[in-house]
Amino acid sequence: MRHERFRSAGKALTMPAVTMLAAIAMGPACAIAAEVEPWSERAIAVHIDASQYTGTLDAVALGHLRDRGEHLFTAKFTTEDGLGRPMATQAITPVKRKRPVQDGFSRTAGMDANACSSCHNEPSPGGAGNFSANVFVSEGFTNADFDSLDPQFSNERNTNHLFGAGLIELLAREMTADLQRLRAEAVRQARQSGEAVRVALVSKGIDFGQLTIEPDGMVDLSGLDGVDTDLVIRPFSQKGVMTSLRQFTINAMNDHHGMQAAERYGARWTGENDFDEDGKADELMPGDISALVAWQAGLKPPVPKVPDDSRWRAAAARGDVLFDQVGCNACHVRALPLNSLKFADPGPFDAAGTLRTGEVEGAIYDLALLEWTAALPRNAEGAVMVPLFGDLKRHRIADARIAALGNELLAQRFVDRDVFQTTELWGIASTAPYGHRGNLTTLDEVIRAHGGDATPVTKAYEGLAEADRSALIAFLKTLVIEP
Amino acid sequence: MSTRKFPLKIHLKILCAALLGAFAAHPAPVRIAFAAEGETAPPPPMDIPYMHEEAMAAGIDHAYRGGWEFFVGGGVASFDCNGDRRPDLFLAGGTEPAALYVNRSPTGGALKFEQKDTGLPQRDLTNVSGAYPIDIDNDGHLDLVVLRVGENRILKGGPDCTFTQANRLLSFDGGRAWTTAFAAEFEQGMPFPTLAFGNYVDRAAPGSPWGTCHDNDLFRPQKRELTEDGKAAMPAYSERTALSPGYCALSILFTDWHRSGTPDLRITNDRQYYRGGEEQLWRVEPGRPPRLFTRSEGWRSVQIWGMGIAEADLDADGYPEYALTSMGDTKMQTLDEDAEEGRPVYRDIAFEHGATAHRPYAGNDLRPSTGWHAGFEDFNNDGKLDLFIAKGNVEQMPEFAAFDPDNLLLGGLGGKFTEAGHLAGIDLPTRGRGAALADFNMDGMVDLLVVNREHNVSLFRNLGAKSDPQSSDPSRARPMGNWLEIELAQKNVNLDAIGATISVKTGNTTRVRKVQVGGGHASGHLGFVHVGLGVSERAEIRVHWPDGTWSAPYRVFANNFVRIERGSERARYWLPE
Repeated sequence: MRHERFRSAGKALTMPAVTMLAAIAMGPACAIAAEVEPWSERAIAVHIDASQYTGTLDAVALGHLRDRGEHLFTAKFTTEDGLGRPMATQAITPVKRKRPVQDGFSRTAGMDANACSSCHNEPSPGGAGNFSANVFVSEGFTNADFDSLDPQFSNERNTNHLFGAGLIELLAREMTADLQRLRAEAVRQARQSGEAVRVALVSKGIDFGQLTIEPDGMVDLSGLDGVDTDLVIRPFSQKGVMTSLRQFTINAMNDHHGMQAAERYGARWTGENDFDEDGKADELMPGDISALVAWQAGLKPPVPKVPDDSRWRAAAARGDVLFDQVGCNACHVRALPLNSLKFADPGPFDAAGTLRTGEVEGAIYDLALLEWTAALPRNAEGAVMVPLFGDLKRHRIADARIAALGNELLAQRFVDRDVFQTTELWGIASTAPYGHRGNLTTLDEVIRAHGGDATPVTKAYEGLAEADRSALIAFLKTLVIEP
Repeated sequence: MSTRKFPLKIHLKILCAALLGAFAAHPAPVRIAFAAEGETAPPPPMDIPYMHEEAMAAGIDHAYRGGWEFFVGGGVASFDCNGDRRPDLFLAGGTEPAALYVNRSPTGGALKFEQKDTGLPQRDLTNVSGAYPIDIDNDGHLDLVVLRVGENRILKGGPDCTFTQANRLLSFDGGRAWTTAFAAEFEQGMPFPTLAFGNYVDRAAPGSPWGTCHDNDLFRPQKRELTEDGKAAMPAYSERTALSPGYCALSILFTDWHRSGTPDLRITNDRQYYRGGEEQLWRVEPGRPPRLFTRSEGWRSVQIWGMGIAEADLDADGYPEYALTSMGDTKMQTLDEDAEEGRPVYRDIAFEHGATAHRPYAGNDLRPSTGWHAGFEDFNNDGKLDLFIAKGNVEQMPEFAAFDPDNLLLGGLGGKFTEAGHLAGIDLPTRGRGAALADFNMDGMVDLLVVNREHNVSLFRNLGAKSDPQSSDPSRARPMGNWLEIELAQKNVNLDAIGATISVKTGNTTRVRKVQVGGGHASGHLGFVHVGLGVSERAEIRVHWPDGTWSAPYRVFANNFVRIERGSERARYWLPE
């Protein structure tokens, strides 16, 4: 019934009704909404009312919400919207600056863009970014106002693409559920048997080490490998430290644009509805974030292309075989099985500060409603085989001998400086330059830069005949993002 | 639809005018303390915890009863006595027997307790005013110090919530005083705790009760060498040191008030009965007789109807603040920033922080409140400490409010507190005394037990945030902020790390908790230390162990039970069933 109601409203485009509801939700901000004119310099004319998008959305509702999300992703926010954070830092938890910044924009400490698509734009919105679109990642607590490129203040990072991000998050959720289920079962066994239980943490074929559970429920975490101690797979960012698109979106909106989401920076947590003190209250409402999540979650994943050039086809076929022979697929796992395409928003594993299940009625975006999902391969059990070329696990990727990818000085959220999550290779051919900093111009360079846990594979690659190395590159060059 | 008759802009303008008019019609936010005068205070912006009273349903039927001697007291010890890490309860009963309730609450579910026969003789369990848990003999089982009107008892804890009377074993003379307060600390180098007892009126003295306050007692363990395995033999408490003069203590607390590493003993006293008395701070240096801080050392005379002490380092500067309950204004003291090193000069900040709680916030009774137990906790997990105060008329004192609901002052922006007891649902017409603020069902949210005079205890399960402050529908509770619960462990001596400071850092914010035995009103808690984290999803914990050494930082994710064993390389998580 909710969909029907939405659909009838949507088809008739009864903006008065929709806008009225939004205005009611906005409270005092509605005075601004009332002044919206066609030439307005605001990017957000009306906030999106999340209560209009609940339950499992049908194709029309999902399409409408995604359209709103695309608008927000590509919109150039202005000070009229609340762009800027004169009295807040880029931190993911609300942190006040000690003094207002002199200049709102800063390529280092941020805000460093006024649109998501300013950086996420290759080959199209949602895509990756060139070196010129690098960002400077600082936790924003100490030295939040750095104006230097000195790496002791921040880690310089290249922009990732977001194509297939919905599938990535769904995989992470299923893997988290698997790991936590294994842990709960081990706890039960240990309590019942009165003896310690050691449990191997394997999900979708990926090995995350082990836990030892004492009979009293005490957990030895020392055997974990490549996953956080709460067993939440955090699939986003190059470190693998963001749980969800929703969390990532809220972080990025504050960091890069100074657009603060009420669900984290609002009065509930900070006592203020204009935490960044730019004169604009509740700059992004939950419905706005939902729209951005829906749009990103529904982005079509990259799929390998079949080259027109027969020589390329032959080389790629050879490279396809070599990819496994060399051992790249140990971490860059070709595909992981996904059982459900239903994307719940909010999701099940976020923490307070990102809207959670149980806080609102929530919505489900059934990605199966999107055309591109029909082309995804399925395994014998009917699970979608997500061709991500990744394992959603962190590995040590640099050491003293091969240090190129260990080019950061700062650990990030408990993850050591030389440890990163396996980069998903889907779309790699469309997202040069490479490396976390985007300072490696060729695939050959970035392969040779793999140290640490990947050293044997790198050695194997270097030991190939030149033609074979070329074939491997030919294969990787088929992993494109269709614009 | 009429909405289509007007252009969008006109429509919105009408609506906005109406809304803005409505906003304008609201009075400016006022301190809730004035709400009783007929004004309506807007609900605070932070989460209101939904506190659901379910004592009878949980299986607890227990009141604190008795005549004049039991107008005060009414405590509870909250501690784990069977190794399942869930807080069990030992409830004082006054003239009725004290009772032990074992916690059977399922994780995250309705609270459930089961009364267990202690097997102790009735004479040990009657005339009990309060109780505190502490592992005196370092055997890994929490013991109980039971305060009585008459001889105090030490009950030695054993497996599966068994207890044996241990006064003789410990060479402890429980005296005959009217005991109302207790605190303990492990003095430097000592393998066993030093025990302090606060006593009230000396009923046998001529002229009693006026001006006849009993001395307080300090028992230091007789020094014994550690055995070869690092453990110590049973302590002996045969030497009593009188803390004289006593001014009718109702709460005492060992507190490291100036970061010296050596706690001193703060005592809050009831001016109702003393003559020439005041609040006290005893310097308690290892190996030396205790002595009172004097006016020349900076201690200022404060005279209140002192009932309870709560300590918290609200601004994480290393110098704790104290809430002191009384009749009328609650005091909140902070060390004066101009005080010279080592001088205990305190100033009151209760008014500027909105924490006076001086009269009922609900109902029409404008007479002053009577405060008892006080405790700082983060009930809504927003990262800011809240203040609970048990309230209730002494008996039928006409100058003080008869309907006097307990306070839940939620910490907010700028250190201000806002009353939310009525919104949370704890504004019951009971006469509160002692209390336990603990997570009884291991869901990360602080629950609450209040011991009431002549009425069953109140047991509130924290269901989560009210989605609508005015709602009374428990099914609509929603998740609150992130949290941690932390357990410390040492080997051989002081196993529970009494006196340790836990520092929890998220971003630029540091939250500080102390592991203490004492304070409140005749009530003590030992177990997981709860810390609300707000929107932080990870934290770094450092422990300042009781001997003054700092731990390495431990990195943990929010919403976990964490155990930190001294010297261990990493923290461990504990998972409830």
